[in-house]
Amino acid sequence: MASTSTSEPTHPVVFTTQTPYALPSQKFMIPTSWKRYQLSQLVNKALSLPKPIPFEFLVQGEILRGTLAEWCAEKGVGEEETLEIEYFESVMPPQRMSTLPHEDWVSSISCQLPGYFLTASYDGAIRIFDYSQKLLHTTAPHSAPISSLCIVPEPSRADDSSHLLATASQDLTARLTRIDLSSPSSPKAHTLASLHLHTAPLSSVSASPSGAHILTSSWDGLIGVFDTSIPDADEVPADEVAGGERKKRRKVVQEDGSEAPRPKRKAPTTVLKSHTARVSRVVFGPEAKGASAYSCGFDSTVRTWDVENGVCTSTITASSKPFLDIALTANGHTALAASTDRTVSQYDLRAATTSATTPSVATLTHPATPSCIAVARPSASAPAVSTSASEHQLVTGAYDGVVRLWDLRSTRAAVAAFRAWESNAGTGPKKVLSVDWARGLVGVGGEGGVEVWKVGEGDRITTTA
Amino acid sequence: MAAADVKRHSKKRKAAPEEEAPAPPPAAFPQDVGLEMGSEDEGEDGGDVSDDGVVDHFPEIDTRSDTEDEDYTEDGEDEPDESEEDEEEDEEDGESSEETSDDDLGIFPKAKTVISDITGQPKRVYPDIEPDYDSDSSTEDTPNRVGDIPMHWYDDLPHVGYDINGKKVLRPARGDELDKFLKTVEDPEAWTSAFDKNLQMDKPLSPEELDIIRRLQQGENPDASYDPYEPTVEWFTGKGKEEIMPLSAAPEPKRRWIPSKWEKQKVMKIVRAIRQGRILPNKPKTASTQPQFYPIWNDEPSSAPAPLPAPKPRLPGHAESYNPPEEYLPTQEEREKWEATEPEDRERDFLPQKYAALRLVPAYDQFIKERFNRQLDLYLAPRVHRVKLQIDPESLIPKLPSPSSLKPFPVYKSLQVAHEGRRVRTVSVSPDGGWVVTGDEGGVVRLWEVMVGKEIKRWTFKSKIGAVEWCPRTDVSFFAVAIEDRIHFLFPPNLPAAILAATQHALSPANLPPPPAVPSPVKWVSVPAAQSSTDAPILSLHLPSSPEPPKQLVWHRKGDYLASVSEGQAGVWMHQISRRHSQAPFKKIKGAVQLVLFHPSKPHFFVATQRYVRMYNLAEQKLLKTLMPGIRWISCMDVHPSGDHLIVGGYDRKLCWFDLELSDKPYKILRYHSRALRSVHFHPTYPLFASSSDDGSIQVFHARVYNDLMTNPLIVPLKILRGHEVKEGLGVFAVRWVPRQPWLVSAGADGQVSVWCS
Repeated sequence: MASTSTSEPTHPVVFTTQTPYALPSQKFMIPTSWKRYQLSQLVNKALSLPKPIPFEFLVQGEILRGTLAEWCAEKGVGEEETLEIEYFESVMPPQRMSTLPHEDWVSSISCQLPGYFLTASYDGAIRIFDYSQKLLHTTAPHSAPISSLCIVPEPSRADDSSHLLATASQDLTARLTRIDLSSPSSPKAHTLASLHLHTAPLSSVSASPSGAHILTSSWDGLIGVFDTSIPDADEVPADEVAGGERKKRRKVVQEDGSEAPRPKRKAPTTVLKSHTARVSRVVFGPEAKGASAYSCGFDSTVRTWDVENGVCTSTITASSKPFLDIALTANGHTALAASTDRTVSQYDLRAATTSATTPSVATLTHPATPSCIAVARPSASAPAVSTSASEHQLVTGAYDGVVRLWDLRSTRAAVAAFRAWESNAGTGPKKVLSVDWARGLVGVGGEGGVEVWKVGEGDRITTTA
Repeated sequence: MAAADVKRHSKKRKAAPEEEAPAPPPAAFPQDVGLEMGSEDEGEDGGDVSDDGVVDHFPEIDTRSDTEDEDYTEDGEDEPDESEEDEEEDEEDGESSEETSDDDLGIFPKAKTVISDITGQPKRVYPDIEPDYDSDSSTEDTPNRVGDIPMHWYDDLPHVGYDINGKKVLRPARGDELDKFLKTVEDPEAWTSAFDKNLQMDKPLSPEELDIIRRLQQGENPDASYDPYEPTVEWFTGKGKEEIMPLSAAPEPKRRWIPSKWEKQKVMKIVRAIRQGRILPNKPKTASTQPQFYPIWNDEPSSAPAPLPAPKPRLPGHAESYNPPEEYLPTQEEREKWEATEPEDRERDFLPQKYAALRLVPAYDQFIKERFNRQLDLYLAPRVHRVKLQIDPESLIPKLPSPSSLKPFPVYKSLQVAHEGRRVRTVSVSPDGGWVVTGDEGGVVRLWEVMVGKEIKRWTFKSKIGAVEWCPRTDVSFFAVAIEDRIHFLFPPNLPAAILAATQHALSPANLPPPPAVPSPVKWVSVPAAQSSTDAPILSLHLPSSPEPPKQLVWHRKGDYLASVSEGQAGVWMHQISRRHSQAPFKKIKGAVQLVLFHPSKPHFFVATQRYVRMYNLAEQKLLKTLMPGIRWISCMDVHPSGDHLIVGGYDRKLCWFDLELSDKPYKILRYHSRALRSVHFHPTYPLFASSSDDGSIQVFHARVYNDLMTNPLIVPLKILRGHEVKEGLGVFAVRWVPRQPWLVSAGADGQVSVWCS
């Protein structure tokens, strides 16, 4: 290159990319003192892009964080070796979009519904916000804290205004609630069914991509498989609960809608039993049929389930890592599990064996307990997000109130981090309990309510904006 | 030559007797051989004169002389006269006296001492040998005079020795074999002759010798005089000889019964000396004459250190050499600097100097001074024996496994729940490990999730909470809260229907059990099950009034018995849930009860007073043992889940580990906290225990207990957890482990409750 001065040591480099911004495949002599910024400028100038796009550079699968010389010295790469550097659009610094205040802690947030945020809170209520931070509706299907919320996809349904929600609560039930958003001013919600299986508080609920099944996990080590059809009559007889609680629940239902029928009590179709301690999270695999499920628990295992047959097909056993959350990457081959030893471990599900302790592929080390993981999931409404970079990215929320954006190609440090809820000095950090990432928006729910941050690749932000 | 010499000698000998008479031989052999005895025999008078005025020691009596006397009498039948005695003695004296006797016979000439004319010195002259008729030996064969030497020395030589003049004596010619043969033919005696090596000639054997040879050949006794067929002498047998022993039949000599004359004389001599005062029976005893010995082994060995060796002088180095290497020689500046400094301040008291040869080295001018300094060193040296131990300090540290190999254990604070600045005195974790209940001094009891820290339920009471404790049963779910003089029983919300019903039945049964025969001062008040709710206590116990709330609640493992400890004398109560009955197990206890504890498997009950821990058997109602931790004020204790080990913490910063099978004394005393201990807790399943202290820290230990009785428990300090603030000198009040997980919940005086995760 013309720009390289002869006095400075240089390194031969070949640039590759999977983005549309490809450089000619020739060897460049790059000064070893260059960092990401200079490399990015080089690409921009070489392509003469109308609008500068920041790029991130991967040297042998690792994000370049210092100068090229430092990287070579660390890896022991000689000066004559040709380096292959891959580049992709870098992540813009996350920006706070909006804050949705809550009175109580938010245990779960979903951004999957375009145009809306759904939050589940410890006061037992589901709140629906639209993108203008307006609280559209509040419904309280549970009297006890809700621990998890998910949207049951309904591909067969034509209208886009009505959605089915599944919530898991500490009152030992999960519930199916239908919300009707046809009239934006007065959305309606009524609870259709309550799912009865567990004898301990529920920790998570997950719906299959086809929307036919729901998985619930609980502290009692069981995973329940339910179908989403609403029965005509109770499948489970009403339990003889003491007066106080029953009264309360009935009152809640009556407040919601006096004409609405009492939710039907549903029984599980299958119970998945294998965990020996609390199951903290269960998710469906990415297949459309929802044949496989993955769960993690406090018994330091990640289990793969054949949902149809109700058997555990493989187990990943870690040593003393009580897992708190699990997420699958878009291709479904990699599981990311957060555990209380302040790590998020990456496991290859294809290599899972049932025998011994499975070593993790990579470990993301956090300074505090990571409580939740989210990957940018491809959703039906926004199909074109599965670019090369987003496959490797995930966000984790931790108890120190910091949400970190990671790239699995560079696991030593987070790519970006931001602190939700400016904490005032007295109380200490506010815990992040739930993150969700869709369409470039990361919803952060936790102790301080909900915040929405804009996180994504450069091009996507430009297209959405 | 030799013959001539001999003649000359013999002449001298012959001459001797002439001159012998006038001059007796000069005292070559003093004749006083028997004189000692003679002087003793001399009589009393001579001794008196010589001994006059001299104080003698008591004379020793020679026992040997007595035996000699006996010998004489044995030898001779009669008492020998003195001359005989003399002869005997002479013979005993050996060769010298023999010569004397020879001298009398006149065989050897006596030498005479004359003054030499030439030198003027006395010289010894032997008399001439007077030849008489048998003195001429010229006709004899000259004998071989080589002397009595081993003849085999000269076997290979032509001569057989040396004569008196040092001339070789040649071996006489021997005939060859033919001569020998002819000799045997000619001489009939030849076969009875043998070659004498000394004489170098054949000697005919005498008839006696031939007889000996013959006897030896025939296997007879070589002694011709020996008669093997001697007639029997009947010494002991035969008539009249039966009683007579063979030694002597002589009558007893007279001396056997008369006192010895000589002994009498000796004794009389001593007696006279005593009478005259020459011999004192007892010498005056003075201090100096006391015996100078003492029993050296009777004393205890001295504990004083062994005498110290004098300090060793420093060995000379290369610089002290007369010809040191160049690099040791001082430069000019060093020399000037050395000369400028005071002698006391100098590093070395000499300057290296170089000489080409040792002979050029001058006398050492500092010699006297150096020796003097050495003497000063020797007696003024500080005689302190510094024993330098060659011990690697690392080797003194016990070999403990590294904490990283003992994972999992809590290492960081995962979350924190604040109690609005009020001191949180008590914390309890539910048996399923999901919930924590904490009670603070403001009367607030909070129930929250362990892993999230979200408060689910809150109860507010009027006064401060003394203790909260979950019931360890798993079929029911409730906990007890101690406030003022009440113990309230609460149950958490969102219970499954079966557990809720069981809880309500346990705490508020529909039909009450019959009241106990002995009415108890503790009142049981319960809300009927139908009206019970999570908001208010379902059951309350009204204890006898006390200024302070019960400071400890402890459940039996099976969850039926609850023990409470209040201040005061009758502070220990045991409540049985199923029978709804309370009783005080102890009428009277020495000292104020601090803590109580149920044994996890046996009907044993630990009661900690201020200084001692007593172990009772509740079934037999007797004291099993008293443990003495050596702590001035016990603050906390916990028993290992196996039931064989007990840890006791005190306000004086000590933590004692008791092996209950082993001893009443602590197996180990850990003093790791810098302030008073507040709480200790064993993990129910993991080999861990934790202790919290007023210094704001929590210490986590690995404590592995082996089933093998021979192996001691392994206690490894793992981690110090810091994070609680010390407020008003109070630190962490309570630590509890989360069952099934290696997590720790701690409550502090700063109003924070922390969850520590691995």
